[in-house]
Amino acid sequence: MANQTRRNFIKTSALITSATIGLTNKSKAAPKYILSEDRMGVLVDTTVCIGCRKCEWACKVEHNLPTSAIETYDDRSVFNEKRRPNDKALTVVNEYPNDYSDKFPINVKVQCMHCDKPACLSACIVGAFSKHENGAVTWDTSKCIGCRYCMVACPFQIPAFEFEKALKPDIKKCDFCYEQRTSKGKLPACVEICPVEAITFGRREDLIKTARQKIKIYPNRYINRIFGEYEVGGTSWLYLASKEFEKLDFPKLGKDPAPGVSEAIQHGIFAYFVPPVALYALLGGIMWINKNKKSKEKEQEK
Amino acid sequence: MKKFVLFIFVLPLLIYSQTKINVNHKYQELKCKTCHSCDIPTKEKPCLIECPRDKMVSVTQKPEDGPEILTINKIKFENDLYKPVTFTHRLHAEMSDMAGGCKMCHHYNPPGKIIGCIDCHQIERNRIDISKPDLKGAYHQQCMNCHRQWSGKVECESCHELNSSQKSENQKTINSSKKMHPKIEVPAIIKYETPKTKGNLVLFLHNEHIKTFSLDCQNCHSNESCNKCHYKFNPKPEKLKSTLEKHLKCSNCHNTKSNCSFCHSNNPQREFNHFARTGFDISNYHVKLTCQRCHIEKGKFTGLVSDCSSCHGVWSKSNFKHTVVGLQLDETHNEFDCTECHQEKNYKRPGCKNCHEDKTYPKEKPGKLVKK
Repeated sequence: MANQTRRNFIKTSALITSATIGLTNKSKAAPKYILSEDRMGVLVDTTVCIGCRKCEWACKVEHNLPTSAIETYDDRSVFNEKRRPNDKALTVVNEYPNDYSDKFPINVKVQCMHCDKPACLSACIVGAFSKHENGAVTWDTSKCIGCRYCMVACPFQIPAFEFEKALKPDIKKCDFCYEQRTSKGKLPACVEICPVEAITFGRREDLIKTARQKIKIYPNRYINRIFGEYEVGGTSWLYLASKEFEKLDFPKLGKDPAPGVSEAIQHGIFAYFVPPVALYALLGGIMWINKNKKSKEKEQEK
Repeated sequence: MKKFVLFIFVLPLLIYSQTKINVNHKYQELKCKTCHSCDIPTKEKPCLIECPRDKMVSVTQKPEDGPEILTINKIKFENDLYKPVTFTHRLHAEMSDMAGGCKMCHHYNPPGKIIGCIDCHQIERNRIDISKPDLKGAYHQQCMNCHRQWSGKVECESCHELNSSQKSENQKTINSSKKMHPKIEVPAIIKYETPKTKGNLVLFLHNEHIKTFSLDCQNCHSNESCNKCHYKFNPKPEKLKSTLEKHLKCSNCHNTKSNCSFCHSNNPQREFNHFARTGFDISNYHVKLTCQRCHIEKGKFTGLVSDCSSCHGVWSKSNFKHTVVGLQLDETHNEFDCTECHQEKNYKRPGCKNCHEDKTYPKEKPGKLVKK
């Protein structure tokens, strides 16, 4: 150490700093969750769904939400208007006309898609959201501060907020029945009750295989697209339909994951704290120049 | 001991001789469809149904052969909301007669015995193989496909009773077992009026098509919904079809792109005449045969050679009884080979010139006339 020259000292310190920067860089880019190959999903075949809305009923019962008797769900007049999931109904079924047959309207179940790269998770500033190994995207109520960033971030506009509750309002959305069912290897409530098995629960990979097979066998029945296979980086819930998804009120989305944009901006702003420091340095510089000017002016006045 | 061994050997012979089966099963009291799955079995393609065939119900049989009523109770869970369905199988089978037959529900059934839904569709919904729906899904998908067309209703209670209801199941079973679909009348001739100016009439000889081509209803009437006849829930007329769609049923066998006048005319058509159309007279000896006996390939009615030998092989004294044609040959002529007199390949008129210079047929006959 005694022989250490000035040149050597600069070299080693530069190496150490660059190494630490490199390491921190890596740890920041790593995902907060690992996508399991065996993650589960649900395939919704909208050509099979009969619009009986039993899934809506089962969902409410499962999540202790107030509901009317099961017979009241036979009322098809609710289809007159398009509904969205909210804090009182985590899943809803809508109806769209079938161009080829009046007798077979197209029914589409709507709920959280459980994205592979969830925007809600990345937007949450307190890290309340988590993507589980089985594919479920859930949130921790105890951590939630009610900022509702997740609602803004979601490309499907799914998370709902209990606006009517004055005390302890909570975020509400489909939780894949994680706590009570899917974490224990059971089926989600909606899948279990569906009489026609229009919604199939299984490994996401198997579901995609099955869906491809269906499209191949019945090319007239389906359009050649599985919604959710690539949309916003892939979702756990996948859809088959006989009509373009955009006509069934599915959002038009690219293949890039939604968090990509927001994360890039956020991480850009706060990367290694350089931009804030630079900003303060700039402001400090301006102040210093101004101070100098003022002192010079004062000297001149004197 | 020796006697006993001998007896053992002889016994099967004794039994065999007593129960000798008539080898030519054509004359046994058997339905063809009991053993053969296709309409025209040939030596090359016998299309045999798997054994055991006795009392076996296959997809090619009639509604009466199936069960009358079934209670669908294969899927049961602790907290079921609804009671199992009492399914009037016979009634539904009768209804499906005009829409695709047994195969409509018993799809992908291998040749032979009808297998139940449960043999392919798993009871457990939480399963690894998700390539086909589970049993509950399979049942409902089959039912809903028609029920939605029929009434558009999807209420559970149109088929199920609530588990809490007190109605006894037996009553419903008794009521529904009496139901029968009325026999569908088969029209003899259907007259179509078309907008075509040249030949606006098409006379469809419905009965004749069935008879001559030995057709089942499902050969033409497939995927027909109940609403085709029942307007209860579907009062409005069907949308106008394109020319292609209108001719779809006929174009399976007829060339509908050209030769319009074959079916379209201003005057009603006459019945089918094999001789006038093809030059081969079938009115004498082949009148009792179904078309498929000769026209083996389904839908193909051209390209057959009218030589007798193309179907019958080479005739000789040993395999042809001449009395069949109404003429018993006298002793002299009976000795000859067929070709001595019948030089033509169609064995029509005999030529006498080879031996007799002064005699001609039919003025003089080589034997005496007998009843055919």
